[in-house]
Amino acid sequence: MSRLGNFPVAQVLEMGVIELQERVRMTERAVQAFEELKHSFEPTAVLDELDRRGITVVTLADGEYPGRLKSVPDPPPALFVDGELQSPQTPAVALVGSRKASVSGLDTARSLGRALAERGVCVVSGLALGVDAAAHEGALEAGGFTVGVLGCGIDVVYPRSNRRLFEEVRASGALVSEYHLGEAPLAWRFPARNRIIAGLCETVVVVEAPEKSGVLITARHALDAGADVWAVPGPPGLQECRGSNRLIADGAGCLWDIPEFVDSVAPEPVGKVPAEEARLEASVPAGLPEGEAAALAGVGFEPTAVDTVAGRSGLRMQELLSALALLELKGYVSRDTSGSFVRRAGG
Amino acid sequence: MPVEVEVDVSPGLPGFSIVGLPDAAVQEARERVKVAISNSGYKFPTRKVIVNLAPAHLRKEGAAFDLPIALAVLAVSGHIPAESLKDAGIVGELSLDGGLRGVRGALCVAEGARREGLRCLVLPEINANEAASIGGVKVFGIRTLREAVDFLGGQSEVSQTVPQENPSSESVETLEDFADVAGQSFARRALEVAAAGGHNVVMSGPPGSGKTMLARRMPGILPPLTLDESIEVTKVHSAAGEGNGALIRTRPFRAPHHTISTSGLAGGGSNPRPGEVSLAHHGVLFLDEFPEFNRATLEVLRQPLEDGHVTISRVAATLSYPARVTLVCSMNPCPCGYAGDKRRTCRCSAGQIERYQSRISGPLLDRIDLFVDVPRLTRQELREGRDAEPSSVIRERVAAARDIQTRRQGVPNSALAGRRLREACKLREDSEALLGAAIDRMGLTGRSHDRVLRVARTIADLGGEDDIAVENLAEALNYRRSSFLDR
Repeated sequence: MSRLGNFPVAQVLEMGVIELQERVRMTERAVQAFEELKHSFEPTAVLDELDRRGITVVTLADGEYPGRLKSVPDPPPALFVDGELQSPQTPAVALVGSRKASVSGLDTARSLGRALAERGVCVVSGLALGVDAAAHEGALEAGGFTVGVLGCGIDVVYPRSNRRLFEEVRASGALVSEYHLGEAPLAWRFPARNRIIAGLCETVVVVEAPEKSGVLITARHALDAGADVWAVPGPPGLQECRGSNRLIADGAGCLWDIPEFVDSVAPEPVGKVPAEEARLEASVPAGLPEGEAAALAGVGFEPTAVDTVAGRSGLRMQELLSALALLELKGYVSRDTSGSFVRRAGG
Repeated sequence: MPVEVEVDVSPGLPGFSIVGLPDAAVQEARERVKVAISNSGYKFPTRKVIVNLAPAHLRKEGAAFDLPIALAVLAVSGHIPAESLKDAGIVGELSLDGGLRGVRGALCVAEGARREGLRCLVLPEINANEAASIGGVKVFGIRTLREAVDFLGGQSEVSQTVPQENPSSESVETLEDFADVAGQSFARRALEVAAAGGHNVVMSGPPGSGKTMLARRMPGILPPLTLDESIEVTKVHSAAGEGNGALIRTRPFRAPHHTISTSGLAGGGSNPRPGEVSLAHHGVLFLDEFPEFNRATLEVLRQPLEDGHVTISRVAATLSYPARVTLVCSMNPCPCGYAGDKRRTCRCSAGQIERYQSRISGPLLDRIDLFVDVPRLTRQELREGRDAEPSSVIRERVAAARDIQTRRQGVPNSALAGRRLREACKLREDSEALLGAAIDRMGLTGRSHDRVLRVARTIADLGGEDDIAVENLAEALNYRRSSFLDR
């Protein structure tokens, strides 16, 4: 669509073949494909399918289309939404970062997600591995609302190992994509989706990014859209955070204290504050014996070493080990080839 | 094996020969003995002297025969009454000035003397303490050939050696302590279970995760050596020429480098010396970087792990050294070391990893009951690690568990198999059900099934329980191998 030059979409749809070739400068093949699409496109069938899956469409023309998103370069003409976007009054913060973040980066992302969700702030991220997943997890742990923006069709789970997270986000938040059902996660779609992330929020936090990271593009889009950009400081020289550190040097907000930051985004709790019980329920299914519940609470959606779970759950090693094996047999967690445990949704 | 030294002096051209399959060192005794005798002020007989070391078919090795040969010659030439040498055990190497040098294996010699009922043992002073510690035989330490002659001739007194406690000998308390290890409670628990049941362990983890540090502390949580065990250990070390003569009271920790040869590991060489596996007898044999060891070399561990001793064959005799060890192995999860690590990415292909992991296979794998992953912990996690228990506390629990096993079946749980295993590990219904679920959902093989049972039995023993509870089984399941190869 971007190659349509500056012609409004409606006009292009009216053009004949010759016009398309001369004015819009489409190649013959493109024209053919375009014509085919024009004629085979059946809006009703598509809308029915979407309806069946519970997916809504928000187009540029609609009132619900997020305002800030309109001002990003080449705004998506339509957004597919699985779930419900919160009202524009709800503050939304994007947490983005690299897929191969350091352990402390992941922890920070998780803590940020949790703290923001506790305050009722909507947490937006890309459902990718690494920082994105940690941010979503943190928000889910706090029983909050989180939105995942995809670089593929709204029904496509990518990466496959994130399937559980995908389901959880869809259940307690929303999935958003500008790509039609079944569209594959092609590489160029991810930087593109970053502009949507930026456009959905007033504040974007880069938790950790190396130099030359796609995450920095998101920061760029955010600035263009007039959003606030923050970054979490990291140790000087550490490869994983050179990009995020540079952002701070170039003027981004320095997120050195999580409570302070959350206060600046939302001084008062927004809307329904998730109740204690609701929060626990979101993380641990009811009906588990105490020991196993405590153990399960310590296992994350990313591989967690046994000692880490011990620290989080507070259990004695003996009890923890037997709880972990029972959880594994019941299907709540699984063990990977390096002996770390990972949570699984469902049982 | 007692060797009798016979000397015959006959008329004929002056000569001095030694027969009885002497090796080079023993042959050289001729020079040493001759010179030592004359430098001590005696005259060497100028006749034909033949020394026979009986029995004739056994190869004689080493320089310990110097003194008995010298004394025998002196007896023949009348300097010592022959009866004084009757039933006396004598060993020692002579230096050219008539002084005595220490020999290897004094403790073993003393034990042999005791066994043969010899009336006394005369040996270099420097070996006297070690020899005397065995008890049951009178030990006399001497410094020179002259002194020996005078003593045996009744012209002077040499006081019998009384074994001294060597004040610098290690006690259990000086061993490395688990209290110094921060965090890693999973690995600590695993080692405690391993120690309690005599199980062998493999630790897998990236470089720097602390595997070696943990392994070094394992001897400290094993129950203290009994006197008999102490003697065995000291004998082996003595035969290897190690040790300072005092009784060894701490369990040995041997960590051979992975370039070690077969004879270095199992023992052997032209003068059969005990190998690392024997030097680790009643202690811990630590194979660091386990997949780097030559597979053929590791084959020699099969016998000791199975029978508890190592047999070395020589032309005329077979030697058997004890080798009942606890095996602790460490390895990286993959060739580059960082598979599964959170901070570093692994550079290995799946094929490389598989080949690397399959190096730990076959009979050795069968003997290992516990597999532990030792990850690198963050500094924060290390700080948060529970206050570390000192080894002494862990040791008590381990000793108590071992007692239970001795009373119940006489051997540690790791030795249980087949019918004995099933008898000792009768499961209640709920435990049976759990094991069944594990076979279905975790893909537990027949081998791992037995391993899990053995380990669960040890865990129950650690808790002082008669029955194996569901929790014990569940915990045991955590120690199964987590690679994608056959578990």
